[in-house]
Amino acid sequence: MDIAQLGQYVVNGMMLGIIYAMVAVGFTLFFGVLDVIKFSHGDVLMLGAFTGYAVYLGLGALGIEASWLQLALVVIASVLAMAGVGALIARFVVLPLRGAPAFNTLLITLMTGMVLRECVRLFFPAGSNPKPFPRLLPDTQWAFDGFALRLDSVLLFAAGCAAIAGVHLLINHTRLGLAIRAVAQDSETARVMGIGFESIVLLTFALGSGLAALAGVMNGLYYNEINFGMGLLLAVIGFSAAIVGGLGSIYGAILGGFLFAALQTLGAVALPFGSAYKDVFAFAVVILIIAIKPTGLIAERSSERV
Amino acid sequence: MSAKIIDFASAATAASDGLVIEGIHTTYDRVDVLTGVSLRVLPGQITCILGANGAGKSTLIRSILGLTPAYRGRIRFNGEDITRLPTHRIVSRGIACIPEGRKVFAKLSVEENLRAGAYLEPSAREIAHRLEHVYAVFPRLAERAGQLAGTMSGGEQAMVSIGRGMMAAPQLLIIDEPSLGLSPLYVKENFAVIERLHSFGSTVLLVEQNVHQTLAIAHRGYVLAQGHVVAEGSARELADNPRVKEAYFG
Repeated sequence: MDIAQLGQYVVNGMMLGIIYAMVAVGFTLFFGVLDVIKFSHGDVLMLGAFTGYAVYLGLGALGIEASWLQLALVVIASVLAMAGVGALIARFVVLPLRGAPAFNTLLITLMTGMVLRECVRLFFPAGSNPKPFPRLLPDTQWAFDGFALRLDSVLLFAAGCAAIAGVHLLINHTRLGLAIRAVAQDSETARVMGIGFESIVLLTFALGSGLAALAGVMNGLYYNEINFGMGLLLAVIGFSAAIVGGLGSIYGAILGGFLFAALQTLGAVALPFGSAYKDVFAFAVVILIIAIKPTGLIAERSSERV
Repeated sequence: MSAKIIDFASAATAASDGLVIEGIHTTYDRVDVLTGVSLRVLPGQITCILGANGAGKSTLIRSILGLTPAYRGRIRFNGEDITRLPTHRIVSRGIACIPEGRKVFAKLSVEENLRAGAYLEPSAREIAHRLEHVYAVFPRLAERAGQLAGTMSGGEQAMVSIGRGMMAAPQLLIIDEPSLGLSPLYVKENFAVIERLHSFGSTVLLVEQNVHQTLAIAHRGYVLAQGHVVAEGSARELADNPRVKEAYFG
């Protein structure tokens, strides 16, 4: 393999990594505050991408052509809409099942995801076909020795990093973040501090789902194609990434996301018929890691109970 | 003009009502734990609740805080019915709790724990002021401001928990079994701290098993047994009341 091809693999792996990490951070946030696995997460991502696409079509119909304006509106509308969808799912699907076995929450969110997926397939015009996602980023590229670095990849990667850093800052350095962490550790004592449990849960689900919407739009911008089933594999991968990194830890989710992307890339590069088996390879390694370290690579720091 | 004066006067009586509990019944885990408990916590006083394990003390606290709402009866605070308000709304009325077992947020730093206590205070300046005050009372916490609360000793965690209650600057401070699991030295210190908190202007509702030390600092008290009040009166009266002994040993 030459250096140009390797560079391409690395850039692609980094892009996948940041998208997986964004999905995994959502899983970790939801698990943190409510100890639930929300399996509709990937379909919320998909719905976010379709919302962005619909906004793009709408702007086209209105005659708004400036691509930076289109981009800004696509991102804002998609993130806000999915933040709302995430809060609604939390309010009407997840919270009512509080007190029921966690398995029920897992199942009902799986079903919710299926409903979202089928709604897009049935009600979005020609929803069962892949859609061409517009290229809204500048198509500048730099050539190094046969390897072309595209500006849009750099911008997308930077945007993903900024989004995760933003979530991290919010969690660790704001009053809202303090409330989220307090609820995550001991929701009853948090209530006694005057923290409104339900509103914090809704805000956390809104935050994670908004992040998923951004990941969905980024995915569309990178591959220039979206389809109604795109959330399924992304959810499974994001979930695996969160588990392997250590569910409940944001650093773990980021690590898990990049680890999974690295494994996929490695599988594609090193195995014969690589790209066909890269997912098999990546999942096999993840299963192995979980078997060896069931609490994940970055386990939650356990509390010393006296 | 005169209407204003009357309003002001009635607001003043309402505000001096303190906490009034009227015949509450509460179930916990489907068992009736409280059956018709009535009591009053007068503003400015230390009121204590005594009783053996399983008498319903903790459930009473949970009912006041709305964690396990009473299904019958009424709880009023400064004239307002708070029986079925959600916990964070009850707390916003000026009630704070230093919970049994300290319940510090183990993975938050000491300072974050304290800030969580002042969650409802919007003014950053006021929060800084209260932090300073807590650190003045517990210099040890100032030294360890950045340490995770879960890594501290039991006595230090008790300071965090008390400091967190102080951060709310509540009208009514509920203190649930503060000396449970502490060494005798810390227990003594704890009672001194409670008197000090009271001197800062909080009304205190103290739940304790430690009869003598509790009655030494309390103004009034109630004795709970099997989910209802079996004795009440001033601390002095209770100290001489044989039912107090019965409630523990009978």
